[in-house]
Amino acid sequence: MAIDISQMRNIGISAHIDSGKTTLTERVLFYCEKIHAIHEVRGKDGVGATMDSMELERERGITITSASTNVTWKDHPINIIDTPGHVDFTIEVERSLRVLDGAVLVPCAVGGVQSQSITVDRQLNRYKVPFLAFINKADRTGASPLKVRTQLREKLGHNAVMMQLPIGLEDEFEGLIDLITMKAIYFDGDNGERIRNEEIPANMVADAEKYREELIDAVSMFSDELAEAFLEGGEVTEDQIHDAVRAGVLGREFTPVFIGSAYKNKGVQTLLDSVIRYLPAPPEVTNTALDLENDEATVDLSSDNDAKTVALAFKLEDTNYGQLTYIRIYQGTVKKGAELFNTRSRRRFKVGRLIRMHANHMEDITEASAGDIVALFGIDCASGDTFAHPDLNYSMTSMFVPNPVISLALNPMDKKSSDNMGKALNRFTKEDPTFRTHVDPESQETIIQGMGELHLEVYVERMRREYSAEVETGMPQVAYRETITSRGDFNYIHKKQTGGSGQFGRVAGYIEPFEDGDYEFVDAIKGGVIPKDYIPSVNKGFRMAMEKGPMIGFPIVGVRAVINDGSTHPVDSSDMAFQAAAIGAFREAYRKSKPRVLEPIMKVVVEGPTEFQGSAFASINQRRGIILSSSEDGTFSVIEAEVPLSEMFGYSTVLRSLTQGKSEFSMEFLKYRRVPQSIAEDLQTKYQEERKAQAARA
Amino acid sequence: MVRKELIERSPLRILEKSIHGGVGVGNIGVIASRKGTGKTACLVHIATDQLLQEKHIIHVSFSGRTDHIINWYEDIFAEIARKRELEDAMDVHDEIIKRRVVMNFSQDGITAKQFLGSLRAMINDGNFAAKTIVIDGYDFEKGEPESLVAIKRFAEELGLTIWFSASTHREDPRTNEEGVPLLLCPYVDFIAVIITMQPTEHLIKLNLIKDHERYVHEDLHLMLDPKSLLIAREA
Repeated sequence: MAIDISQMRNIGISAHIDSGKTTLTERVLFYCEKIHAIHEVRGKDGVGATMDSMELERERGITITSASTNVTWKDHPINIIDTPGHVDFTIEVERSLRVLDGAVLVPCAVGGVQSQSITVDRQLNRYKVPFLAFINKADRTGASPLKVRTQLREKLGHNAVMMQLPIGLEDEFEGLIDLITMKAIYFDGDNGERIRNEEIPANMVADAEKYREELIDAVSMFSDELAEAFLEGGEVTEDQIHDAVRAGVLGREFTPVFIGSAYKNKGVQTLLDSVIRYLPAPPEVTNTALDLENDEATVDLSSDNDAKTVALAFKLEDTNYGQLTYIRIYQGTVKKGAELFNTRSRRRFKVGRLIRMHANHMEDITEASAGDIVALFGIDCASGDTFAHPDLNYSMTSMFVPNPVISLALNPMDKKSSDNMGKALNRFTKEDPTFRTHVDPESQETIIQGMGELHLEVYVERMRREYSAEVETGMPQVAYRETITSRGDFNYIHKKQTGGSGQFGRVAGYIEPFEDGDYEFVDAIKGGVIPKDYIPSVNKGFRMAMEKGPMIGFPIVGVRAVINDGSTHPVDSSDMAFQAAAIGAFREAYRKSKPRVLEPIMKVVVEGPTEFQGSAFASINQRRGIILSSSEDGTFSVIEAEVPLSEMFGYSTVLRSLTQGKSEFSMEFLKYRRVPQSIAEDLQTKYQEERKAQAARA
Repeated sequence: MVRKELIERSPLRILEKSIHGGVGVGNIGVIASRKGTGKTACLVHIATDQLLQEKHIIHVSFSGRTDHIINWYEDIFAEIARKRELEDAMDVHDEIIKRRVVMNFSQDGITAKQFLGSLRAMINDGNFAAKTIVIDGYDFEKGEPESLVAIKRFAEELGLTIWFSASTHREDPRTNEEGVPLLLCPYVDFIAVIITMQPTEHLIKLNLIKDHERYVHEDLHLMLDPKSLLIAREA
């Protein structure tokens, strides 16, 4: 069955962990009649919400990976991408945002706009995703949708305006007032499936009129027609308001605010109506790719089915039937049996099984159009790969992938676990570019690297649960770096004469700090004193020397190496000799160039009741943190700080005990900064001792 | 220019001289003008000058967003560094921001006691040795003299100097006979230094109204440069 793409919506539900996103998704699926019973996230029946495909997520009540689900609401096909809420998994959030055309931002009516909502908002901005806001949990004690609306304005700078008013709040939350139709809406039946429209309760008429006026006033700037009608006091039609709201949403200049309680089955259908009414269909969004043939110039993609195919693999999943690859098609069609080209791996492949994923089953299809989100079976690829027509060498905008800042050593308990661990690591590295793994050549241990303690913990747990790989983990290790802070000259001769042909190479030049990247090599050799053939050898030697710095054994970054002189021997010079000369030269210069140790600094946000603010300040201070700011509104406070990652291990436990579990924190990598001298010395001493111990063992 | 020279040649030394060494420990200074004249810029310049002198400062705002304030500091620092050709500007920048904290409050939801409790938590628990606190956007109209007294006592106890900004009515330029804006009259006994900002055709002049015990009406020969938004000598 062909799907009308102009009716389609690709949406994500983005929110802070406990704002009830999964419950909302569950209700959406239910109302779209795709599933027949509603399960609670932490339900007693042990079934769990349909979207949470992993056991681990079910146990924690949070969603870690995204999966796309196709539903239909009033003849509109909707692909829902369930986005993870935790900052440690932002690469997954960002990858999902890449494929969305619109989003629903879900703040909790009690908790309001918290740090995570701010992170999510920043991501929506980065990918220019239009969105609606749905203030959930209006039935909870302390619910205040109007306060949250104000927070959307003040904390996120949104032009946020109520589209609905709640009738009652907390345990008296009964229904909604639609400020466009000016009707009261109630949700009857066991699951709120029957919608009943009534007159607005008399005591709320004045409020409703006031907020309706505010709404029309706010959106009139997006429609001349509406502005005119409004100013002249004439009749304003519902369609005029809808059109103006839509224009404001698509231009990302207006945030319509809806209210409800997914848990109490209120407000979900009206939200769905608004999703199809205000959020864009795929053809309304301009997407671009990078042309790899043309110096990565951006090219606009067209949602034309006749154009040559461009699609992005944004999510991999292991199933009983093999690897499932979720793709978003941006241009052209994907047909069963057609040939596509993976522009990263440079490999062609044939499309085998093509699947549309529903909440509880998969449907085999033969063709999918531009704008759609579908899945392929049995394709060997990594997340983030671009699939294109063999004629096109396009890549979807490369996603920013930060370098990992933390590592952990893994030791499998037995042979079986060792094999399974290998499988698991292979899968995880494909799924998540911020997760990396290698074997340490010295200790022979498997090392995993990632963006934070929790990030790695989740993968270790997944290994155990999904792959039955029992592993012991070492202490988390911070990814330090070394760098230089001044110029250092070198003039080094590598010479060896041990019978047979010898080795000879001389390189001269200098190294200096380089701010725009990790490394730059400059060949300033005049008159061929080092033959062209050996220049790459010198470059390679420098790179090798930088892999492990002499101070604490971590990679050296921020270096420009310039060679401007040297000499060769007609017989004894070789590739090897020049590599060795470069390594020696680098070490010679490095000592002179005031090397320093760098450490990853995290941006940390601590949120909690103001009464614990002092403890939070102290805990940051004790961790060499710099408090940038604190904000409080009487009862609740938010602290932003920069703290070295090395000081953040175990912070969640510390914070919990300091604040009776009432504060929470999030962190993300910010930058590398110089380590204070005393700590650098400690690290050096430790490194030297380790080396000695290793040498003694050998 | 090196940092030492930059501090010595700062126009703020003129201000200090005029008010006999500064606002003073345990005292409150106020910069008053109508909205949009550049009070925040003045406060940020004063605070940045303190930071350059290796002192810790707390910037209190009531504006709802801290990133705006941080941007103010970035802009003012960049202007100073550019204008004075400061050497190693990036290193100086990275070093001084460690001594600055922005604390944001909503005035409606908070009592003077809570407010001072949070400042105390920052200074004591956060081990943040602030010497100067600048308070921007406090609403003197809604506020009460008792709150200011409490803040002054707090300053005396912890050895702090406090600078406020005060927004006067655009439509109400009235002052008492000493030149004190009417808005500040209920508070005037607890304020050591009052400076007003007076927009003229091309620039914004700074006038000294109260200098500790004396009421004066003195042209400071300082202005707010409308381009750089820095306090500068009058040309």
